[in-house]
Amino acid sequence: MKGNKTNHITPPDAQPLHSSLDDNVNDLRTTLGNSSDFVTRLFSIHKTSAAILYMDGLVDKNTVQNFILESLMLEIPAKRPITHHLYESIKKANLPIGELSEVEDKHDLLKKLLSGDTILLLDKETKALSISTKGWSDRGVQEATSESVIRGPKEAFTETIRTNTALLRRKIKDPDLRVEAKTIGRKTCTDVAMVYLEGTAEKEVIEQVNERLDQIDIDAVLESGYIEEFIQDAQYSPFPTVYNSEKPDAIAGGILEGRVAILIDGTPNVLLVPALFVNFMQSSEDYYQRADIGTLVRLLRLFCFSVALFMPSLYIAFTTFHQEMIPPPLLISLASQREGVPFPAFVEALMMELTFEVLREAGIRLPKPVGSAVSIVGALVLGQSAVQAGLVSPAMVIVVAITAISSFVFPAYNMAISIRILRFPMMILAATFGLFGIILGMIAIVFHLSSLKSFGKPYMAPLAPMIGKDQKDVLIRLPHWGLLSRPSFFTKSDQKRVDSTSKER
Amino acid sequence: MNLYSKAIFLAVCLLLLSGCWNSKELDDLGIVVAVGIDKTEDDQFLLVTQVINPSEIATDAPTTRPPVSIYESTGDSLFEAFRNMTEKSPRKMYLSQLRLLVIGRGLAEEGILPSLDAFYRDHEFRTAFFVTIAKDTGVKDLLKVLTPYEKIPANKLMHSMEAVQRSLGSSKGVVIDELIGQILSKGQSPVLPGLLIDGDSDIGTAIENIEKIDAPTQLRIDNLAVMEEDRLIGWLTPEESKGLNYITGDMKSTTVSYPCGDEGLISVEVLRTDKSSKAKFEDGDPTISIELELEGNVGELDCPIDLTKAESIETINGEVEKRVKQKMEAAIKAAQEDFGSDIFGFGNLIHRKNPAYWKTVEKSWNSKFKELKIDIQVKAQIRRKGNSTQPITKEE
Repeated sequence: MKGNKTNHITPPDAQPLHSSLDDNVNDLRTTLGNSSDFVTRLFSIHKTSAAILYMDGLVDKNTVQNFILESLMLEIPAKRPITHHLYESIKKANLPIGELSEVEDKHDLLKKLLSGDTILLLDKETKALSISTKGWSDRGVQEATSESVIRGPKEAFTETIRTNTALLRRKIKDPDLRVEAKTIGRKTCTDVAMVYLEGTAEKEVIEQVNERLDQIDIDAVLESGYIEEFIQDAQYSPFPTVYNSEKPDAIAGGILEGRVAILIDGTPNVLLVPALFVNFMQSSEDYYQRADIGTLVRLLRLFCFSVALFMPSLYIAFTTFHQEMIPPPLLISLASQREGVPFPAFVEALMMELTFEVLREAGIRLPKPVGSAVSIVGALVLGQSAVQAGLVSPAMVIVVAITAISSFVFPAYNMAISIRILRFPMMILAATFGLFGIILGMIAIVFHLSSLKSFGKPYMAPLAPMIGKDQKDVLIRLPHWGLLSRPSFFTKSDQKRVDSTSKER
Repeated sequence: MNLYSKAIFLAVCLLLLSGCWNSKELDDLGIVVAVGIDKTEDDQFLLVTQVINPSEIATDAPTTRPPVSIYESTGDSLFEAFRNMTEKSPRKMYLSQLRLLVIGRGLAEEGILPSLDAFYRDHEFRTAFFVTIAKDTGVKDLLKVLTPYEKIPANKLMHSMEAVQRSLGSSKGVVIDELIGQILSKGQSPVLPGLLIDGDSDIGTAIENIEKIDAPTQLRIDNLAVMEEDRLIGWLTPEESKGLNYITGDMKSTTVSYPCGDEGLISVEVLRTDKSSKAKFEDGDPTISIELELEGNVGELDCPIDLTKAESIETINGEVEKRVKQKMEAAIKAAQEDFGSDIFGFGNLIHRKNPAYWKTVEKSWNSKFKELKIDIQVKAQIRRKGNSTQPITKEE
């Protein structure tokens, strides 16, 4: 594996730097189109002219001031070496900065410059020093907004990749933790990092991830979604085969299971592969709460999965095809609610589901102060007025409400989206074929799920294929002292997690 | 258009063209809860259906419209009569929720098997509805009566029937599967519960009937009707009905009372019965032996007995055994002497015990049944005597 590999981005012909400082500076100014945030500071060190170049806003001005300008302009000893030694001596002795590199090519220089380095150019020198002074204002580590927990760490990843790798390092202080950097995006040159545990993660998976990442040739990567769509296995499946989370503990948990995390600069959503169906049903909090409630909550989520997927279609099927299956008192009550409703049950359900989807979308997009307007309109107009106006039956409102609440139970938002999508074809099947149609749809979904793979791992593992030993942490969660080995469907090596003698009886 | 899009086009056609053919919205259904059948004078089938009016039953604001409606039609066959009904009713009859089938007396005496076929064959019926016979009243009159407390008359009848079977034991619900099985079986004749109107049927049909605290016209579950194969041949008395239920093992709970002392009465609540009946052969002749164990409580005591003594419990046990045995014998006597119909299923017992013998008597079983020897053993156990050991009486 080659670190720092930058495929497709290196320009065809390298452009060496000029030997004259003025030429260099002018050339760079022209290339950057006299951008207003491009700062050039010309000065001289013992009669040798020099220049400091940086992009305003991307550098930490204090560092530039205190450790570069000050040491170069004030602290260089009076007894100076001859000019062509000046470069070497500065590099060796005069820059109290941790990260320093040399560039000899204009494109490299521009890339460094644009990612926040400060460039030191000396007259009559075709090499430049690139000093790492990255420092811009970012959001800082804050509480997770999309995945909240009661118990467990509250911190979330930020938009800065370095902060994010640090968050992972702080959780796993193991020398085997590897952070492999890549740059993807011809225009954005986005930093991407693969993080995994050497020796625990499977070699084939790491190779696959490397291969798929290297293959990407795109002009811009603004979010991890760009990468996800390139590397996911099932391009046309409604089900996600890449997990993402903004919680460092969830990602660290995945890495410890032998999975590979992909961090992308500019987004707090970190990808984790391979991702199996059951992973989307699990929350990191399952491991923090007691094992028994963890198990129950997982079963509850599975139940909610079926409710969210099938409830409206079952309602349609029962009320339009299989009235004999409804208990008589319920049938009478449903029939009385249906009296006077002008639409068939299917249209009624479709209408309500669509309205709910609209409400949900509006709720996300609206600015916070206006947000409450949506809930008022939603609750009053839909919950009550639609029923009073005789447009929908109260039972349908309940069905839609239960469906909606159930779909909010999933810890993984992208799995909830797949269910939202699949609900509508299921409703059409129910309205055309009744229960028969629902069963057909269900069979199709099961077939599809079983045929999916994520980075070579069967998507339904460890349920199909059934792996008995891994059932300890799928539908149920054993206490931590019982989770003796890592899931064998992710990794075969370094299996041991807990020593079986570690719990005092 | 390539092959792929052609395939999708065809699949979509399949979906759009074939679907929904038997889909029906809830508000297009006339939910039938009770059906009455009888023969008219010109030998046509008379069909009466009781259809519920859902918005009247599940409502916050009841109106004066009745909770159920009755439709009537005639036809050469029942199926035809069902279809003729659409001339009157606004909705297609939906029969899957049927609770009750009421057979008119005239039809029952003639034989019910032909008319049951429609109810058994059609996929729409669930086979869990009760079959009953309208005693001393027309089926239409019976289904017309509005019932207080329970809005749907069919539900009232069904619930009453279940309650009678559960705690009185003088009648029992018979579902169509069971009925057809017994009609076709050579070794058992069916019994069916009867239904009665208490009061004037014309008052019963008006809404005023249910506006009174004491509804003048009410529906009642009567004793069991004895059938020979599929024909009604007579009725059992309440005591005989109980006796029948003891013998067939359908007795869940009931009361047994007998006089004690000068004018007092003691009532025992039967909680559990356990029946076992066997066929035996002695010298080639079959005998049936029935062993019945029952457990009970003292429910009511109005005579000077000291319940703390073991002998008094023994006495009660003995009396209860005697009374129960009397009822069973009465039922057997009625069946053997009055009706000549094996309503207990003894024939099946013999069939199971000795199939070869059964072959010889199968054809003339009902006449053989008249001479069948039946041996009854009753064992009663009083478990609890209630909260007091003495009757509440004035000291004299």
